Amino acid sequence: MAAAVARKDLRTELRSRELLPALGQFAILALLVANFAFDIDASNSARIAPGILWMVLVFAGLVAFGRTFSAERDQGSLEPLLLTPASRTAIFAGKAVAAALMLVACEAVLLPGLALFFNIPIFSVPLVATVLLATIGMAGLGCLFAALAAQTRARDLLLPVLAIPIWIPFIVAGGRAAQLAMGGGGGGSPNQALALLLDFDILFVVAASLTARFVLDD
Amino acid sequence: MTRHLPVLAGAATAAMVVAGLMIFVYAPADALEGDVQRIFYLHVSTAIGAYVAFTTVAVGGILYLWRESRVADRIAVAAAEVGLLFTTITLVMGSLYGKAIWGTYWTWDARLTSTLVLWMMYAAYILVRRIATPGRQAARFAAVVGIIGALDIPVVHFSVNWWRTQHPQSVLTAPGGPALPAAMLITFFVTFAATLLLGLVLVLVRYRIEATGESVAITLEERQAA
Repeated sequence: MAAAVARKDLRTELRSRELLPALGQFAILALLVANFAFDIDASNSARIAPGILWMVLVFAGLVAFGRTFSAERDQGSLEPLLLTPASRTAIFAGKAVAAALMLVACEAVLLPGLALFFNIPIFSVPLVATVLLATIGMAGLGCLFAALAAQTRARDLLLPVLAIPIWIPFIVAGGRAAQLAMGGGGGGSPNQALALLLDFDILFVVAASLTARFVLDD
Repeated sequence: MTRHLPVLAGAATAAMVVAGLMIFVYAPADALEGDVQRIFYLHVSTAIGAYVAFTTVAVGGILYLWRESRVADRIAVAAAEVGLLFTTITLVMGSLYGKAIWGTYWTWDARLTSTLVLWMMYAAYILVRRIATPGRQAARFAAVVGIIGALDIPVVHFSVNWWRTQHPQSVLTAPGGPALPAAMLITFFVTFAATLLLGLVLVLVRYRIEATGESVAITLEERQAA
């Protein structure tokens, strides 16, 4: 059932082609801004690039996760979806998976963009693992709060205020892993940080699935 | 319990006055840090109080989701607001101490970071209650935020702890018993008790406001229906 919801969301996106181009362009534009804001050159790019990566990930995540529920709300299709016999947890899981895949698509633009513009060896397994592991947990929590925010008056206001503090563990561990994977952060292996990210994924995906039915129930 | 509120409020005020006198008169000045160390008593008390409030918010949220208990929800709202107040006091006093001892108001230490995130979460919790439709929706949404937040805070603390921490280590739970002279320890416990009592009084006052607000809303609805 969750897979059906995810497929529906992804098919809607593939047919309308609204969110993905916007997210991709946002990633490139953010790199453009970062270049001029930070005065990046060959000597400091390894130190600054992980920060840019995380700034873009957080804000692209807010847009991607916010869309999944606010689009349903705008079209009045959230209530019919909730009236189907699918369990709330399955609906939530499906939408979270679809949203996570949208963010992965944005990352597929962001990482090569970073490599190209900031001359950083970005195609490393630890870096890709960092970004993907962080995406799982951030999507679980982000969609939980997006579902909550979409049902209130000030949804665009509420999502960042709720999601960013809750994402801090992912940003701390993921930031550390990205620094190490890009050769900064004092050297060392990013494996410990990656293991921590995996732990956070398990903890928060379970917590989000357990509480999702209370957010989607009315 | 709200019936004994005036008595409790009087006791909390008296306890706070006694704690203030003890902090400034009875407790000795610290050998190394001097008078600045006197910040410790209220700073640590409000910090622990904030964590107690935070736990109350989460437990209240769980009870609300489980049993739809109005009482649990009202206690959670009250505890969140008192928790935000205590966290603010902790942060402000902590930065004053930091400026005097470390030479900077702020550093990204594990305890400081997790306290700041705690503050942001309480603020978000209160914002959710304000923005969501009052009643069942606001209570449910806030409960979810409170529960996820309670899971998040220890994780934030743990993950920031990777970096070496600059915050003074706990003197109360040091191995081999508290590493404080008796006069300081007594002052701390009096301040701590006064802070918890004050927190309890504030929670009860806020609880009563919430309960009154709900009954007014119900009365208005009944009048409109009639």
